Amino acid sequence: MSFSRETMEKIGKFAKEQAQHYLDEAEMTYMEKLRRKSGQTKDKIRAKLEKFKSRSQTALDAQNDMILYMSDYMKDLMAEGLSEQEAFERAKEDLKFRSDSAMSANLQERFASYYESLSPADHEAVGLFYAGFLFLGVAAGGLAGFLGGGGREAFLAGGWIETLIGVVVGGAVGIGCGFFSNAVIALKRRS
Amino acid sequence: MIFLDKFSEMLKGVLEGMVLEIISRGEIYGYEIAKRLHAMGFEGLAEATVYALLLRLEKNKLVHITRKPSEMGPPRKFYTLNERGMEELASFWARWDFLNERIQTLRNSGGKGI
Repeated sequence: MSFSRETMEKIGKFAKEQAQHYLDEAEMTYMEKLRRKSGQTKDKIRAKLEKFKSRSQTALDAQNDMILYMSDYMKDLMAEGLSEQEAFERAKEDLKFRSDSAMSANLQERFASYYESLSPADHEAVGLFYAGFLFLGVAAGGLAGFLGGGGREAFLAGGWIETLIGVVVGGAVGIGCGFFSNAVIALKRRS
Repeated sequence: MIFLDKFSEMLKGVLEGMVLEIISRGEIYGYEIAKRLHAMGFEGLAEATVYALLLRLEKNKLVHITRKPSEMGPPRKFYTLNERGMEELASFWARWDFLNERIQTLRNSGGKGI
């Protein structure tokens, strides 16, 4: 049993479009990842990517697998009495990548695991670190600026600029320390 | 099987082992695996599920693949289990036996015999 040329072209087009959805990201070339993620700018990027190698062997394999798988399925459906077009529509529907497919389910599990492991205490700790370091930095910077600038008399005589610079620099140092603390907490949670 | 939709979640956990067992019995291609499952009564199993599973087995290097010419154009992939696949299958049956035994005990005695 063989299919018409038109159906073969449709099968090929469907397989090319759908097979890549089933492939895990790790198996895709950078170009394929870009193409998949590009959304609205897909066509634009595709035109540019055509200058380079556009499909990996893995993607072509998956595409060929789907062509054969779909053809076998369609032959069975036609043996049951469906027309070529009906068989194609049914196979297309059954083989279309869905959000509850294996890969997507895996992704959902990872999301669920991520959110399950999120603890409000972590966020609270991060916030407190930022605030603590910011206050410490501002206080230390301001004091250093105030004393370094000549103390109270100099401050009142227009030397407040040193204090202000100290406050700003101290604040920046405090926020920097907050970033480090955030990174440490994130890495600890990951491990 | 009329209640297939009721245990599709349960099936997800064992389908890989089932397919590995089918492949372990001899060289076989993708759609033939789906047909074998259908013949066993898993008619409601989505075609896409088996296709996606085979891609995963290949990615996880559990199968050996031989390509043979097909009448449709692209070469057809035939799967056999490699050593890693054999180990995974043995591990699957060990887990299955463990679970089956406990579930049966639970069913028979409500877990009091453990």
